[in-house]
Amino acid sequence: MKWFPSFGFQRRKRELQEEIDAHLQMAIADRVARGETAETARQAAAREFGNIPLVQDVTREMWGQGWLEQLGRDIRYALRQLRKSPGFTITATTMLAVAICANSTVFSWIDGTMLRPIPGARDTGDLVSLQRGERNFSPVPPFSYLDYRDLREQNHTFTGILAYHHDWITLTGGAQPERAYIANVSANYFDVLGIKPLLGRFFLPEEETRPDAVPNVVLGYSLWKTRYAADPAIVGKSIELARHPVTVIGVAPEGVVGAMPGIREDLWVTLDPLGTDVWRMTHRSGGAVWLNVIGRLRPRVSRDQAAQDLDTLMHHIVAAYPDDHLGENRITLDPMWRSPFGANGYMSATLPILLAFAGVVLLLTCANVATLTLVRFVSRRRELAIRQSLGANRMQLVRQMVLEGAMLSIVAGVVALVLTSWTSKTFAWFFPANSNPSVLNGAMDYKVVIGIAVSSLLAGMLCGALPAWRSSHAPAVEALKAESASISGGSRNRKLLGALVVAQIALSLPLLLCSGLFLRTLRNLAGANPGFEQDHILTASVGLNIAGYSHDDEQVIRHKILDRVSALPGVKVASLTDWIPMTLGHKGEDAYPEGYVPHPHESLQVYHAEVSPRYFESLHIPILEGREFTPEDDEKAPRVLIVDQTAARRYWPGQDPLGKKLRIWRSLFTVVGVARNSTHMLMNEAPEPMVYMSFFQVGYETIVQVETEGNQADLTPAVENAIHEIDTRLPVFDVRPMRESTQIASSFAVIQSALAGMFALIGLVLAVTGIYGVVTYRTQMRTHEIGIRMALGASRVDVLRLVLVQGLWLTGIGLALGLAFALGLTRLIARLLYGIGANDPVTVVSVVMLLGAMSLVACYLPAHRAMRRNPVTAIREL
Amino acid sequence: MSEKDQYKNRIELLQGTLDMLILQTLQWGPQHGYGIAQALRLRSGDVLQVETGSLYPALHRLERQSWVQSEWKQSESKQKARYYRITGKGKKQLASDLGRWERIVEAIGSVMYVKPEASGS
Repeated sequence: MKWFPSFGFQRRKRELQEEIDAHLQMAIADRVARGETAETARQAAAREFGNIPLVQDVTREMWGQGWLEQLGRDIRYALRQLRKSPGFTITATTMLAVAICANSTVFSWIDGTMLRPIPGARDTGDLVSLQRGERNFSPVPPFSYLDYRDLREQNHTFTGILAYHHDWITLTGGAQPERAYIANVSANYFDVLGIKPLLGRFFLPEEETRPDAVPNVVLGYSLWKTRYAADPAIVGKSIELARHPVTVIGVAPEGVVGAMPGIREDLWVTLDPLGTDVWRMTHRSGGAVWLNVIGRLRPRVSRDQAAQDLDTLMHHIVAAYPDDHLGENRITLDPMWRSPFGANGYMSATLPILLAFAGVVLLLTCANVATLTLVRFVSRRRELAIRQSLGANRMQLVRQMVLEGAMLSIVAGVVALVLTSWTSKTFAWFFPANSNPSVLNGAMDYKVVIGIAVSSLLAGMLCGALPAWRSSHAPAVEALKAESASISGGSRNRKLLGALVVAQIALSLPLLLCSGLFLRTLRNLAGANPGFEQDHILTASVGLNIAGYSHDDEQVIRHKILDRVSALPGVKVASLTDWIPMTLGHKGEDAYPEGYVPHPHESLQVYHAEVSPRYFESLHIPILEGREFTPEDDEKAPRVLIVDQTAARRYWPGQDPLGKKLRIWRSLFTVVGVARNSTHMLMNEAPEPMVYMSFFQVGYETIVQVETEGNQADLTPAVENAIHEIDTRLPVFDVRPMRESTQIASSFAVIQSALAGMFALIGLVLAVTGIYGVVTYRTQMRTHEIGIRMALGASRVDVLRLVLVQGLWLTGIGLALGLAFALGLTRLIARLLYGIGANDPVTVVSVVMLLGAMSLVACYLPAHRAMRRNPVTAIREL
Repeated sequence: MSEKDQYKNRIELLQGTLDMLILQTLQWGPQHGYGIAQALRLRSGDVLQVETGSLYPALHRLERQSWVQSEWKQSESKQKARYYRITGKGKKQLASDLGRWERIVEAIGSVMYVKPEASGS
């Protein structure tokens, strides 16, 4: 096998050989000339020359490339050794590949989401996401334009601060109206992100708040490609948005999808492109709080310094406009990888924990492979000892063994790399179709490759170096003298083997426990009652507000939709709403209950939803006090509210909430009813106060919600037709059963339990095969001894006990250590559990029992075999 | 292993000195390894016997440092051999080696032939 022929090494080697031959020839010729016979001359010359290979060797070292040849030789030797035991090689490589792949897969998901929070942006590490007020898992946009502008213009710690508002809109003007995700952005949006236009330009500072007769729009790459056929002359052309003509001024480069992590934006306009939002641009509270804000830190400014800077500014703003800033106003900054806006809040709560699990799997696998390697080396002790006495030094032996481990882990790393290029893309599977324009998936880039390289390096070191270091310590003479029967590896190796088995059990227990807790969480989630009906409910979004109708037309069309859909056969109850529960979205607003004195720093934010009459009826949410909305609760009537139990208890404890008043958006709402609590976002959420408002008073988006008699999916075409009969240009989206929509709320629980389950299964298999392997090996080594014991009168039960006890002893220590480790670890996942404690005794006991029972079986099999051996053959076997 | 170590030690011991001797030998004209060994032996009156295990590593090291160059040529006896030739750089090295050598000899000499009264009494 020629490994390094390209370095001219072979040629130089040949030349050295020729040089030495010439030397010998000349020496012989001289001696013959002096009268010696050819034969004696040849012998004398050779003697005089000395050890030819040695001379070659020391000379080659002068070339400075000796190590390369040596490495090639060591690699060839390692490959030969691995080829000799294909069973070990294949098993070890497969196990390592799976373990590395588990790590790299989770890491690729982190890489694609948390580490790439804003695709296309420059240096996302310098970007921070701003939050105002109480920290919250899923906050609503926290800033008004004026507050944002003050912060942007007066701070000393940012090179730029951008603001955006994510929304959706209808693209009209084509054959078919199309929904698109749009963001109203500050003029410096692309600038702060560090994105240059592909075509045309982005917004100018003077355009930020200036309404234009024909507003400007920047198209996203994929929209430009799909809807406008990648028209290279699109800049300057007019397109239609919600029936308003707009001018395309630029196209964003490929891959840019906006500033909200994990969420896609298709196009961008300025903050008030039509001049219709003057109110929103000139106020500081209520509906004017609508912007998400991201800043880019100045070089060498820490997040804490920046937060302090902004906090001081915010204090001044609060002091100047106290009425607009009731409640908590502290500013907190998050790096984009865990920004609570968009998907990364969820990602950072889940993925790092899964990566930690994967890391445990890798350690476990290394312990297992190290066991196999150690057993292999122990049985190769004589070979190693002979090589040592033939002149190989200890370092060379260690190097060769480490190299064998390295070869295994390199091959495993390559396999894992190939696997990961596929598994990284499986992340999107976990997210069912939903109304969020999520763009979540893993990514396969140099970071993942580095991650794989690091894991396989680590694995190689653990699998090869550890046993090698142990093995090479054995003095050669002893190993040579020792007969196989007494070399069960010596007591030091036995201890190391035992420790490895204990480590495997101790590492697999937490995996099993966590996966058990996750699986039970998933079952609890599936069986939990969210407080509203999910079956036989169909919802359909109508792009009414985004389609460019006048307000009066909208109201007429909404009534028409309600009437037509109600009349459809198979429809029990039809209602309108602008929010679907458990779809990872919610609306929040500051509410000021009359007569209620908030605690210091209490957030006054409430969730709100606008719902039409019969909404509660269709979802089977009982009204506990007062009444439901009626068709009379329209724009002409006084504003009314229905609160849920949480809101009622918080604001009017011990009082009758009916007739109480709440101020929202500077208008006063009267409470007319109390609805039972139901789930808003996630099953394991902390209940937040919820107020329902009348759809025909303040409704914004239009979602038709019907309760059907039979299968809800059958009604899909009928509902769509009914809406299109009113106006064929009405865009209808996201027509799907309620249960399908709410699936997204448990998708993270599914990810956690699926991965933890897989990891735990791997852990269980590794731990059990590990203990089986070691007990079998040790029993084989003691065959001779067991034979003697039996010959001297030990009963079969004695033999069984002898073998079993040592295995169970290891299992016991492993379980004890593992339990301590596991109980520490479950605290990390406590936040992700639902309906079960982190130290749930039933789960703990069953996991320990499972692992214990499996280990028992694993120990019993070799014990049983030993018991049934014929003592005579056992004694003969050495 | 141990034999190899011995060679190494000897090279270290003779390092510089052997290099100097080889370079000096090559001053008289290009020569092959065998020729260099013979020349050293003859000129030293059979006192210096250079081991091949020291000579060839030294030659290859000198070549790597560009103090000598080598080429394959036919010897007078029609034997194809590798001839080494000293380079300009090698000549400079030889001069500095020689200077050092003379200083060492002088220094050692002044220690060895020190007059008894100089040690003080």
